[in-house]
Amino acid sequence: MLVDTNTYIGHWAFRPLPWHTADDLLRAMDAHGIDRAFVSSASAILYRNSHAGNEELHAEARAHPDRLVPFAVINPTYADWQHDLAICHEEFGARGVRLYPKYHRYQLSDANGKALIREAAARKMIISVPLRVEDNRQRSWLLDVPDVTAAEVADAAKAHPEARFLPVNGFGYLRSAFAEEGSVQGDFGLEMLRPAIFMGRSNALGQEIQRTIEKIGADHVVFGSGMPFTIPEVLLLKLEVLNLPKEASEAIRWRNAVRLLE
Amino acid sequence: MVIDCHAHLSGGGDGKGGISPYDEDVLEAADSLGIDAICASILCERPASVEGFQESNRKLAELVRRFPGKVLGYAFVNPGHQRAAIDEVRRCVEEFGFIGVKLYNEYKCTDPVVWPIVETAIALRVPILEHAGHSHFPIPRQPNISDGGDLAELARRYPEAMLICGHIGGGGDWEWTIKALRSAPGVYLDTSGSVFDDGMIDMAARVLGTDRLLFGCDISWSAGIAKVRAAHLPEEAKRMVLGGNMEKILARRGGKTC
Repeated sequence: MLVDTNTYIGHWAFRPLPWHTADDLLRAMDAHGIDRAFVSSASAILYRNSHAGNEELHAEARAHPDRLVPFAVINPTYADWQHDLAICHEEFGARGVRLYPKYHRYQLSDANGKALIREAAARKMIISVPLRVEDNRQRSWLLDVPDVTAAEVADAAKAHPEARFLPVNGFGYLRSAFAEEGSVQGDFGLEMLRPAIFMGRSNALGQEIQRTIEKIGADHVVFGSGMPFTIPEVLLLKLEVLNLPKEASEAIRWRNAVRLLE
Repeated sequence: MVIDCHAHLSGGGDGKGGISPYDEDVLEAADSLGIDAICASILCERPASVEGFQESNRKLAELVRRFPGKVLGYAFVNPGHQRAAIDEVRRCVEEFGFIGVKLYNEYKCTDPVVWPIVETAIALRVPILEHAGHSHFPIPRQPNISDGGDLAELARRYPEAMLICGHIGGGGDWEWTIKALRSAPGVYLDTSGSVFDDGMIDMAARVLGTDRLLFGCDISWSAGIAKVRAAHLPEEAKRMVLGGNMEKILARRGGKTC
């Protein structure tokens, strides 16, 4: 069993993604042995009205509730976002929200961010925050959006014990409140796609996944591929080489993600 | 054979006659991922002084001697030191058995100060691995970083040179770089870097051809291996990218391979 907490359908304005539809996503999941996926609209990130992307996602994903778990992209600075959130949750079956504070120009800690987190948490929706969409070094000349830091998400998680947080496209959790015992009261999952400096069995270069498992716990690390922006093979290879005990491996591969959904 | 064309070591030791923990990790990572050989350099504080790059290369020579066939050396030099840099490249290749030259960002590769190094590499029949990247924003810490366009320009001046454009996955706008290299058949592209975007290696293969792609990690080990695994390429093409193409380059330095 494998649950992918970080997938997308739709388009990205700055380069062609290799595929765009729910059928494409299902084929990619099958090719990589992924049973279920948390999915949101890539197009919604840059649409002025993000909800149009949520509607596109719903049209694509509604036929596959057994495998696709929709997440809504909500911009709390945009008109009528509370209504959008309600539609996504109540009609589209969204189980979480994806927040892009740097793209949508608010802070997780400001009034807009807090209002969205509170409202989504009240609906028992997972708060997923992609720390980045693309590597900043390749950003378009039109766009200069910094990454969200793991510390910002951890601080938000600390401030909202009622919420379940799921940062994705991430790394650097060890330097955040997520690593401080008892600091984050709510449940959380850490998707660790990005630590690319991966040293197999040893630690001298910073084997971040292994250290995160040791310090924060395998029950807080989740699998996420970033498809179709990035290839799933990287994290699959990391898990393969890590050679974790069965219990920890299963926790990361699917149990933690399923627990977050409950 | 799997050859990482872009690796870094630290040199030094563990104080007990062994190698440094960093280097031990690098070699262990290579083993765990099925990498047979790494083409490595040891960098020093930059802009590199003569003493700095000589010391780096001396340390690397020890590792090359200690791990024959496993560690292959690039001579790291700062071309600004002209005669000393040329002499160092010759010393490294002829005395230490290094397989190439590593240039960083002290000068753009199109700067005339770099030309004698290129001519030396041509004479020695070894490749030059150039740290490269293309950003649409200034990179304050690297004002002289070369990009794919600079390497293409250098290749037009020296068509017989074996130039490797460093880390497509660590050098900014990879689509730009691939397009900039299309018309420069003398330039190879290394697949290393922490970026593992879907479509990156496929586009490089489509535009440049797989015979111009060299597998590399640049310490991003899992990304390095996984992106070649994931590429939509025939198995034989993957084999060439993973090591066959680099073996051909290494063979040019006088029939001697790993």
